[in-house]
Amino acid sequence: MTKPLFSIKQGGPTSWAIRIACAVVLAYVVLWIPTSGSNSLIDTATTALTLMGAALSLNLLLGFTGQISLGHSAFFGVGAYTTAIFVTRWGWSPLKTLPIAFVVAFVVGALVSLPALRIKGVYLALVTLTLGVVFPQFIKWPKIEWLTGGSRGLVDTGFKFDKNNRTFEIFGWNPWGNLRGENVKPFYFWIAVMIVVIIYLICRGLVKSRVGRSLIAIRDNNTAAAVMGVNLALTKGMVFGLSAAMCALPGCLTAMKGTVTPDSALLTVAGSITFLIVMVIGGAGSLWGPIIGAIVFQFITEKTSNWIEPDEIPGIFRPIFSWSKTAPSGGIFALSLIALMFVAPLGLAGLWKRLIGRIVAVVPQPVGTATLGIPTWEVEEPPSATK
Amino acid sequence: MQRSSTRFLAVLAVGALFVGACGDDKKDTADTTADTTADTTADTTADTTADTSADTTVPAPTSWAVNTDDCIDPDAANALIEGTIQIGAVFPLTGESAADEAFAPVKDGWLAYMDYANENGLLGDLQIEASVEDDQYSKDLTPGAVSTLLDAGVDVFSGILGTPNNLAVRDTLNEECVPQLNNLTGAPEWGDVANYPWTTGERVPYDIEAKVYAEQIAQQFPEGATVALFSVNSDFGQIYVDAFKELADEFGLEIVDEQTVEATDGAPPVSQITSIASKAPQVVIGIPIGIGCVTFLNELASAKAQNAGWEPVTYISNTCAASSLILAAAGANADGVLTSNNLLDVKDPANADVPAVAEFLAYMDALGKADTVATAAAGWHVAEVTVAIIKQAMESPEGVTRASIINAARNFTYTPAFARPGVVFKSIGEEDPFLAESLQVVEYDADTATFTAIGDVITTFES
Amino acid sequence: MELFLQRLVDGLSEGSVYALIALGIVIIYRGTGHLNFAQGEMALFSTYVVYQFGEWGIPIGIAVVMGMAVGFLLGAVTEVAIVRPISKKSPFAVFIVTIGLFQLLNWLDGAIWGGQQLPNTGVGSKQIRFPSLFPSKPTDFVTILGANIKIQSLGVIALVALLTVGLFAIFNHTRLGLAMRAVAANGESAKLVGIRTGRVLMASWGMAAAIGALGGVVFAGISTSVSLGLMFTVFIYGAAAATLGGFDSPGGAVIAGFSIGLIQNMAAGYAPEWVGQEMKVGVAFLVILGVLLFRPSGLFGTSRVERV
Repeated sequence: MTKPLFSIKQGGPTSWAIRIACAVVLAYVVLWIPTSGSNSLIDTATTALTLMGAALSLNLLLGFTGQISLGHSAFFGVGAYTTAIFVTRWGWSPLKTLPIAFVVAFVVGALVSLPALRIKGVYLALVTLTLGVVFPQFIKWPKIEWLTGGSRGLVDTGFKFDKNNRTFEIFGWNPWGNLRGENVKPFYFWIAVMIVVIIYLICRGLVKSRVGRSLIAIRDNNTAAAVMGVNLALTKGMVFGLSAAMCALPGCLTAMKGTVTPDSALLTVAGSITFLIVMVIGGAGSLWGPIIGAIVFQFITEKTSNWIEPDEIPGIFRPIFSWSKTAPSGGIFALSLIALMFVAPLGLAGLWKRLIGRIVAVVPQPVGTATLGIPTWEVEEPPSATK
Repeated sequence: MQRSSTRFLAVLAVGALFVGACGDDKKDTADTTADTTADTTADTTADTTADTSADTTVPAPTSWAVNTDDCIDPDAANALIEGTIQIGAVFPLTGESAADEAFAPVKDGWLAYMDYANENGLLGDLQIEASVEDDQYSKDLTPGAVSTLLDAGVDVFSGILGTPNNLAVRDTLNEECVPQLNNLTGAPEWGDVANYPWTTGERVPYDIEAKVYAEQIAQQFPEGATVALFSVNSDFGQIYVDAFKELADEFGLEIVDEQTVEATDGAPPVSQITSIASKAPQVVIGIPIGIGCVTFLNELASAKAQNAGWEPVTYISNTCAASSLILAAAGANADGVLTSNNLLDVKDPANADVPAVAEFLAYMDALGKADTVATAAAGWHVAEVTVAIIKQAMESPEGVTRASIINAARNFTYTPAFARPGVVFKSIGEEDPFLAESLQVVEYDADTATFTAIGDVITTFES
Repeated sequence: MELFLQRLVDGLSEGSVYALIALGIVIIYRGTGHLNFAQGEMALFSTYVVYQFGEWGIPIGIAVVMGMAVGFLLGAVTEVAIVRPISKKSPFAVFIVTIGLFQLLNWLDGAIWGGQQLPNTGVGSKQIRFPSLFPSKPTDFVTILGANIKIQSLGVIALVALLTVGLFAIFNHTRLGLAMRAVAANGESAKLVGIRTGRVLMASWGMAAAIGALGGVVFAGISTSVSLGLMFTVFIYGAAAATLGGFDSPGGAVIAGFSIGLIQNMAAGYAPEWVGQEMKVGVAFLVILGVLLFRPSGLFGTSRVERV
């Protein structure tokens, strides 16, 4: 290990300068997109933010307690349907449904966590996978069609503005301008930003707190944590519920855009797998991982979406992908998922930390701050065979 | 709602002139929206046929005209489009389809007709610039695709495929006041003129299709018939199921069994058909999609063979029959199945002499796309209707504007090149928001892979 | 009665495909303790390969055998090149890798044979016609006890039964089978007594993938088509069967596979109001959840010793 070129003291002036610089750049980008970006860019950014929110909440569960969920599309769907149902059946304002969706998904998540107390590791992945498969079917179930609209889905689930004067006032103040046609896109963008910020702050608050440390204790060693006085069942249940509740928020946003159908991609298992890919590529167990992951994911998806026609593929990539009859993004993500497990199990965020670690050393503050990490399941003994 | 009455009168006059200029047999219609009748003088909605005698010489007083005051940019909606008109479409290009054959050829046919129109100068000096975006048949991606096209300056959308996909962009396009013409889906939602004046559908509404079948069944079984429904568990299947349930009393149908299949389910509907067969209904109506049509017909054939004496009359939705490959895949099992169509089957050798079909086939052949003509025909046809609408708008006094295009689309009488004899596309403002409401019930002949007409074209639902 | 008998055979023939997938899951689990989420997709890849052989004019009977060989290679290479090195890191990494394989194979199928990659919805993907292994004309049925049973259904059930017997012969009467059982019982000790565990594991993955290939071909034959979403729900049912039978019991997997097919078919048929076709998959969910909660070893598996 070579000695880093620089070293920065955490909490020191250099560290703060870097932080402020990052914050300024971030704020600039977030402001630039809705004000100067094209409509399609705003759309793309909103989608990326949606994925970001879902991946962040999945990361809380996986990065902290080491529980895998392939059923987060169901929680996402719970959010979408809570908003849709409250808006269409009871005429609520969509924004007011956010806390409701949070609570509903929390309860659902906490219920799911009950079996999760007994079922671990890859078996939990299996159970939640099936949950993800069942969810859209449940929505279509004729017995609850009166509520969910069945397989036809629900329409007009979004904001109902006055047709002529579509403004959205907050205490008499109208920051959005006229929300009509394509102009409504920045409005959704800002809701997405708000949701991601809320989720990020919850995650961050948890990581840095005492709760966060007990969670990591659970992840790393169940028994030891219990010995140290952590209430396993309660803590796990809370985190599962919280993760589900946060995942519901970006789901609400999809409903706010106007229609909800049980077959839309993010509400099915494909959604769960997408969230997982975003999280793992960005970096499981890092606060910034899912954020980076969502941006990279959306960027690649967008850039390669028309690579079906060989002529559309830019120069160097053409020989690699021209044979493919579909867009290459699926393959790229699958391959990077596998490759990352070999070279950088902590994803892009982990890779970045390692590379930057060669150049700059961050001297941590002495206080025992918690870190996220890769879940380490206890390796289960293969069961002894019959006979 | 405040509106400028002068503008309204101008639009009114323009519309009247336009009807006169066309010189067709369009009926007088009144604008049914309350606010417009307030401004206008005499015309009311009810008895519109009263003064039709006059319209040979005197221009009709009113025809439906869109109100551009609600637009974000009314001037843009009324701005003259000169030189080139940009027409956009969103199709699933990446082979995403419910059929043996992907929907991608729809795009080929669509683009081919746009080229054809340019080459033949169908719009005179106006050049068509056609652009297509991919939404992978996912409603989540359609808004993005439409945004990209709007950013590129598209004036008109045509033939966006899929009901949820069209619903997802309906609000945006209606507020931007960009015509969303000829949606390639038959959802009844496209008839909501009051709320979504800028959105029109091209396919026969699914509930009307259901009515056509119900009427045909009632003719065949005057005493009433027992019916089993088999449908795909999606918004598409649900529209038919709801329609048949509603029509059951009126047409003497007794629905004895309802079975569904998941679009995602790879397995054939064995247990569903077993259940239907056990009830031995006189009529089986199938509304599956894609390969589901094939497995449905296969299973039904097995069930019929196993239950000697049970020979139900079988209907399938015309979406199944839209691609002749689907029925061909079912082979002999599809023999004698009833469905419907309003267009000619371009693959039928008997139609090869029809000039429009021959021209289409030759054109596609020249492009090297001869093998996918059946699906491409849908795109070609939609493009043809779109261009015809724009042509009619061009002949209107105000020239081609986005508003005049949607006005043309809503006051339109046209016989498409592929139309079956007797089929006329017609729309009359709010009174008749759907272009296509006539259907011919046809029977499939597996040996020749062609359809035989049963009875006459049912035009009762075309007002 | 006839209806019941017919539903019974329908359920069993559907269940036979689940049994094959479950068998693959169990064989891999016994050897390595990994749950292979890509089992269904490995089978689908081989099924597409069989389709391709058919396109090249090879008769379906021979094509199936060749497809199984391709499947075996695919499984073996996957184990050696990807799973083995990664399993030294962490079970989490293995899980992610199997999900990655799931995505990769599904994408590859689409990239080579066309169709939109959407693992959850077969709706979109391009459907390709697929021949059946057995006579499947409408008139190909026999009448048993008054019920008309399709020859195809009987053929599929018989094929799976035959394969199970063959597998048990391999497990119990060959050196490979003995080695596999030894590795399953205790990998470390097996290594100590000179069994080449690496080869055994490689063979397990290969075998599982080959069995899966057969399952895919059978299922595609029943469905008359192959598409990208074909094996997804089948994997769910197969996993439910493996859970029910016990993850380490091949016999249990087969019995449970048939049972799951039977249960969901009966439930959908006799409780159309409550289960119907919409909630059929709910049956699989309840089975997995219930078994893992109350009897994690399944019906026929050995119970694991929980470490304190």
